[in-house]
Amino acid sequence: MEVLLAIKGKDFILTAADRTSARSIVVMKQGEDKSRALNKNILMLYSGEAGDTVQFAEYIQRNIQLYGIKNGVPLSTSAAASFTRKELATSLRSRNPYHVNVIIAGTDPKTALPELYWLDYLAASVKLNFAAHGHASYFTLSTMDRYWREGLSLEEAKSLLNKCIAELKVRYIANLPEFTVKVVDKDGIREIDL
Amino acid sequence: MSDRYSFSLTTFSPSGKLVQIEYALNAVAQGVTSIGIKATNGVVIATEKKVPSFLVDDSTMEKVSLICGNIGMVYSGMGPDARVLVDKARKSAQEYKKVYHEEPPTAMLVKEVATVMQEYTQSGGVRPFGVSLLIAGFDDTGPSLYQVDPSGSYWAWKASAIGKNMINAKTFLEKRYSSTMEIEDAVHNAILTLKEGFEGQMTESTIEIGIAQLEEITTKEGKKEKVGRFRKLTPSEIRDYLANIA
Amino acid sequence: MEYNGSAIIAMKGKNCVAIAADRRFGVQALTLSTDFKKVFQMNERVFIGLPGLATDVQTLYERFRFKTNMYKLREEREITPSTFARMVSSTLYEKRFGPYFCEPVIAGLEKDGTPYICTMDLLGCITTPADFVVSGTASNQMYGMAESLWEPDLEPEELFETISQSLLNAVDRDAISGWGAVVHVITPERILTRTLKGRMD
Repeated sequence: MEVLLAIKGKDFILTAADRTSARSIVVMKQGEDKSRALNKNILMLYSGEAGDTVQFAEYIQRNIQLYGIKNGVPLSTSAAASFTRKELATSLRSRNPYHVNVIIAGTDPKTALPELYWLDYLAASVKLNFAAHGHASYFTLSTMDRYWREGLSLEEAKSLLNKCIAELKVRYIANLPEFTVKVVDKDGIREIDL
Repeated sequence: MSDRYSFSLTTFSPSGKLVQIEYALNAVAQGVTSIGIKATNGVVIATEKKVPSFLVDDSTMEKVSLICGNIGMVYSGMGPDARVLVDKARKSAQEYKKVYHEEPPTAMLVKEVATVMQEYTQSGGVRPFGVSLLIAGFDDTGPSLYQVDPSGSYWAWKASAIGKNMINAKTFLEKRYSSTMEIEDAVHNAILTLKEGFEGQMTESTIEIGIAQLEEITTKEGKKEKVGRFRKLTPSEIRDYLANIA
Repeated sequence: MEYNGSAIIAMKGKNCVAIAADRRFGVQALTLSTDFKKVFQMNERVFIGLPGLATDVQTLYERFRFKTNMYKLREEREITPSTFARMVSSTLYEKRFGPYFCEPVIAGLEKDGTPYICTMDLLGCITTPADFVVSGTASNQMYGMAESLWEPDLEPEELFETISQSLLNAVDRDAISGWGAVVHVITPERILTRTLKGRMD
């Protein structure tokens, strides 16, 4: 029932995650932020088993921050994705694996190159131009297939994201009143209104 | 509690030497001489077999050991120490075969054994091995002969000698060695070298010889194939060589 | 094996071998990517194709890359395809009671230039046929195609055509593989790599 979306633009990644915190069929609260900043320019969105998600995300976040402190150089987006994949892959064959799906969105602060990685709880990692996790992928990927192109501006990406969310509101059975929308570009991570 | 700590016995002397290793080399220098010669088409290793009393059944004594199909080794120095290394080398060879389903290259096996010997110069609670080894093998790169010392250092040789008579033997080898020599000549020369400074009667029961060379085998599919093989010479083969010398 | 979908094939030719794979990555019926890498070059003369569960494809590739790099440094030589196959087999069998869900295909040239191909099951049991090997979700279809197209002693370009047609037409009858392909033909002189478009639906 959780929705994670991300779209790669010219020099940024636009992400959206629903704000619903639910237990089984009951909505417990709104206003949950399902993302963590791994460093200044990399954002990780997560969904999956309650408890596992935040624990895993913060474990990755702190290790990547530690890397930055130790080496005085921040980890690149691809390295952060590789690290996360390895942790998930190791966890997969452990006694109690994490059940967490993630999207890693990062923009290189120097070259402004945006990169978007999609990882499922099995630790399969793919680099994509647009990504979605959960049931939302069945509703939004076709819209993104139709309208996504290389070098989208922020306004164009926002309008595409709006189309996707509109589709979810019409066709998806779950009630998703609020979304956290963030932009990751060379200047960092910021929350925006659609 | 004290068993939690184990400091290395091998420590530097103020002049920068590791005297324990020098003592180990002394033990080797007291050991029975062993010879190795590389020929164009094979390698030979040979040693003298000394028994403390004629009451000992010398047919059960073995100083030249088969490590795996294509590699064998001989030692000079302390027999019991060498046995440990033979066991470790055989195990290491089988582990290599388990992963790659082929015989280890001689250089790889030597490296493994040398690593073990080095570890015994730095680990806590142990002493270095009181042996030097001559390792002979035949692999894709052809024949090769290596010497490994107690420090863990190793070299490839065209011909070498270790043990009591090594200086004389090496001088002798320097005179006799030729780079065009074939395996039969090499065996012959190895025996001659051993004969220098040999105490007592040289017979098929007082020397041991091992050779690594190409041999024809039949594969599981029934194809004939030439592969590197190490084998010990039988007493009757040794007798034939000795007959040629006298 | 059927979770992400994949199709990999390798063929022997005259003094050459070829290996080809589809490019789809999906989760069951949902396609997410059409440039997913499933064939990996281990050195100048050895390739491995890893069909199966995508996470294990990536994990295994990382392990084999590590192992072949270490082999090269340790032994100061390149690994041959037959030795590499034994190594892959040992690696898989190590996990006998919790296996990787992947049935690899290996193609390459031996030191003397003889073509080598093989495949193995997810536990590491090796099969070494004389003509071609297939693996993945479209293996039944690939058997049919390769069985009718392959002939002995194909030259590199002929082999390329044969393997490409075998793969492309096989994946069109499999819902979870296809979406383009990549082909490598390995000859003693050079490696020919081409990416192909297939039916992208």
